[in-house]
Amino acid sequence: MTTLADRPLATETSQGIGGRLYRFLRSIPTWVLWVLVILWSLPTFGLFVNSFRGRDSQRTTGWWTFEGPWTLDNYEAILSAGPTGGLWQAFLNTLAIAIPATVIPIAIATFAAYAFAWIDFPGREWLFIGTVALLAIPAQTSLIPLLQLYSGGAHLTIPGIEKTVTIFPDLGLAGEHVAVWLTHTGFALPFAIFLIHNYVSQLPKDVFESARIDGADHFAIFWRLVLPLSVPVLAAFAIFQFLWTYNDYLIALTMIGANGVNLPMTVRIASLAGEFGRLVHLLTAGAFVSMAMPLAVFFALQRFFVRGILAGSVKG
Amino acid sequence: MEKLYDTAIGVVLAIALSGAIFIGANKLFDLTRSRWAVFTTAVGALAGFLPFVLFAANDLIVDGVVTTVVATLIGAFTGFLLGTVEPPPIRLAIGSLGGLALGLLMGFQSQGVFGVTAEGVPVLLPARPALDPSSLILWSLIGLAAGGVWWVIRGRRGSPLRTLILWGTLGWFLAAWLIPDLVSGTRNEAMVAAGVTGLGLGATAGLNPLPNSNEQYLVGERSRSWIFLVPAMVFIGATLVIPTIRTIYLSFRDERGGEFVGFQNYADLWNDRTINVSDFSSMFTSQVFIWGVVVLVVGLLVGVATARRRKEGTFIASGASNAAMAGAVFLLVFALFSTLRGTVINNLWWVFTVTVIATAAGLAVAVLADRARFENVAKSMIFMPMAISFVGASIIWRFVYQAKQPTPAVPDGGQTGLLNALWVGLGQLSNSTTQKYIALAILAVIVVALGYVAMRGFRAGALGVAWGSGLALLFFGWFMYALLAGIGGWDPETGFATPLLFVQDAPFNNVWLMVVLIWIQTGFAMVIFSAAIKAVPGELIEASRVDGATETQTFWQITVPSIAPTIGVVVTTLIVVVLKVFDIVKVMTNGNFGTQVIANEMWQRAFTELNFGLGSALAVALFVGVLPILYLNIRRMQEGVAQ
Repeated sequence: MTTLADRPLATETSQGIGGRLYRFLRSIPTWVLWVLVILWSLPTFGLFVNSFRGRDSQRTTGWWTFEGPWTLDNYEAILSAGPTGGLWQAFLNTLAIAIPATVIPIAIATFAAYAFAWIDFPGREWLFIGTVALLAIPAQTSLIPLLQLYSGGAHLTIPGIEKTVTIFPDLGLAGEHVAVWLTHTGFALPFAIFLIHNYVSQLPKDVFESARIDGADHFAIFWRLVLPLSVPVLAAFAIFQFLWTYNDYLIALTMIGANGVNLPMTVRIASLAGEFGRLVHLLTAGAFVSMAMPLAVFFALQRFFVRGILAGSVKG
Repeated sequence: MEKLYDTAIGVVLAIALSGAIFIGANKLFDLTRSRWAVFTTAVGALAGFLPFVLFAANDLIVDGVVTTVVATLIGAFTGFLLGTVEPPPIRLAIGSLGGLALGLLMGFQSQGVFGVTAEGVPVLLPARPALDPSSLILWSLIGLAAGGVWWVIRGRRGSPLRTLILWGTLGWFLAAWLIPDLVSGTRNEAMVAAGVTGLGLGATAGLNPLPNSNEQYLVGERSRSWIFLVPAMVFIGATLVIPTIRTIYLSFRDERGGEFVGFQNYADLWNDRTINVSDFSSMFTSQVFIWGVVVLVVGLLVGVATARRRKEGTFIASGASNAAMAGAVFLLVFALFSTLRGTVINNLWWVFTVTVIATAAGLAVAVLADRARFENVAKSMIFMPMAISFVGASIIWRFVYQAKQPTPAVPDGGQTGLLNALWVGLGQLSNSTTQKYIALAILAVIVVALGYVAMRGFRAGALGVAWGSGLALLFFGWFMYALLAGIGGWDPETGFATPLLFVQDAPFNNVWLMVVLIWIQTGFAMVIFSAAIKAVPGELIEASRVDGATETQTFWQITVPSIAPTIGVVVTTLIVVVLKVFDIVKVMTNGNFGTQVIANEMWQRAFTELNFGLGSALAVALFVGVLPILYLNIRRMQEGVAQ
């Protein structure tokens, strides 16, 4: 697209107030853009300002008055242990969920993406399409059976003899972080395989062929060629997946449920929001604590994040 | 902290273990190229190990650990011999003996005593079948016959003897282990049943000739694809495929997954709370509907006027009339959704509104930001909400929507929510005297200026400018009227503020919740559109400008068609995201005040009421909702593969 100013019109050259007004109007698209930017940032900015204002200020005046007293009490209260806080523990829990739930799918998906891209086997195309099609399946479809699996194992009753065979033992995973990672791992794989496959399959073919002639097997090729060459896409997926699992609410809420000590920040804050009246002044600080890390990751590594989103959708 | 260390150790262990298994499997198959015997030894050991672990884990054999070790050794030894010995008769003998030994071991160690269930109820464990000779002979013969047929169907490939033995063994296995009563047999019967099975399978293995080096290589290659795929397939199967099938199964069962209830759960879904059309007729009197009709008429009139001016036909779909009619359709659909009520309707309303607005806004921002100064700053600010969790976003917006009721001490309520502060302030302005007229005077100046610009733009042939300022003029004119007639959250009678209850007042509270998701997803749409717009070839745009097309024409006739596939991707992605909206509704209203959506309803039924049948039926409803998208995605992938 080109801007309007690229094409001179008769009115543009005319002098006087009319011409000036006209030129001003031509810059309106830019103004609209910046108005939108401000509108988009204002809610977050307001929350940020309020998180440094005391309980009474928050209750009586809007953040735009910028009335003090300025304080860090909200942050102190929400991070400390206790019924009104405990966000520090929740933050650790969030990390304990998000880090494995990022690392494990990357490893597994990269193996699969390599197989789909560079190992010839019958039915490869269909298996790939089938795998990636699962991308659209809503998590809700799997929640009930998965929770049953984690809290009771999987059992198959053989018809006729009524003997129940245990396929997956009851490990008591419900309420534990492991249950959340396993779920995230499975849900992330279709997208991860799709994204990484798009990249890995574009790597130059002759590199692989010469490596094979030199006697490298698939494992060596994978380890010494594919992994180092795919670092950009792995980083893109890692950031995407980290933000996704860090911000996840539904799966953590379902799989951890009542086990309060293991709850991540999103669930903790949402339950604080349930007591909106009493602790409303802490909620601003709480929400901001939960946003700080993703925002830092986002602004620092935005390029990778955007690359991940683009590669995942535009190429489809 | 202790918890965290445990987790860290768990993660490291899990990763190390899976890494070791993965590398081990790879190394194992590397052996196919150099030392075949080592490979067959390992495979034989696994063939002994895996079934016996399964038996031991299910309490089917006594002395599980020792027996498994012995079985592994037998398997490894057999595998080693099969990987080195060449003469076919000796290979057959080795295979058969190895298999027989494993089978006899299983039968000899079979658990014949009473086991105890977890609840302490004693049961007989099923490891000793009561054999019936006639059934055994019959099924083995059936197996042999099936094997013969199979061999002919497969084009007489491979050794007929091997196929026959394999199928005969399958027949035997069926008659010995699957058909009879598994608890009332004796140890001898178990040994016969297992021994013959093992003998047959071992003989099948022994009938394979020792492969030459090329065949060895191929075996390694083919199994390698599986090593790379199996971890992913196991996870996808366990978390997506099997659970989806089970959810469909559970949706036909009662709340605890027990009794089969047919379509009862689905019938329970079909009520006033999910789809309620009783208020249908009030749509025609709703404000949104009337505005929609007005805009539609305007659009039609513009089209007719254009046709008159150009003297061709009776109606020409110009840009302005198209825009007006698209807006009208949006308003009419909106009116429809706001009068029909219920969970499903809400969900459709979400999908429609958020998808349309986020796509349009994302496209608009992408176009506006393109080549603007500080483009990247502007784009990252719009994109930023994507990094915030839905929960965080909901809390941010709850503060924006906050409404405070006035008290005699504080007549304006001391609004702390931005929107209500504006609304109440507007009301105070509208009911003031001097300030009101100052505001009206400013507005009048703006209106006059806009009118001048519209006229000038019209004369200069810049229709976009003319229409834009004309619309703005209409808006400011209306605003002047509204200010005079009284607008905003202030009641002059009582002298109290009347803030809007954004979150509580149905049905438009749904829209205020949607705003949160639009706020988040516009950035997503923008990023994708921005990349697509930059990918439109510059020559195309140059050419269209050389041909004298205006900016608007270039946009609609060059840019939009070039990015059409991207629009498709964005729309389908957004539909999937919006369809399963959960967090925002759960945090902001928990489905109260008429804002319930399917995903939240599903969560409440399944995990607070523990009604798995109804919850599963709701999950299936969501699943059915994404099926068209699933189909579209597959189509798109196939085209991608074909290219």
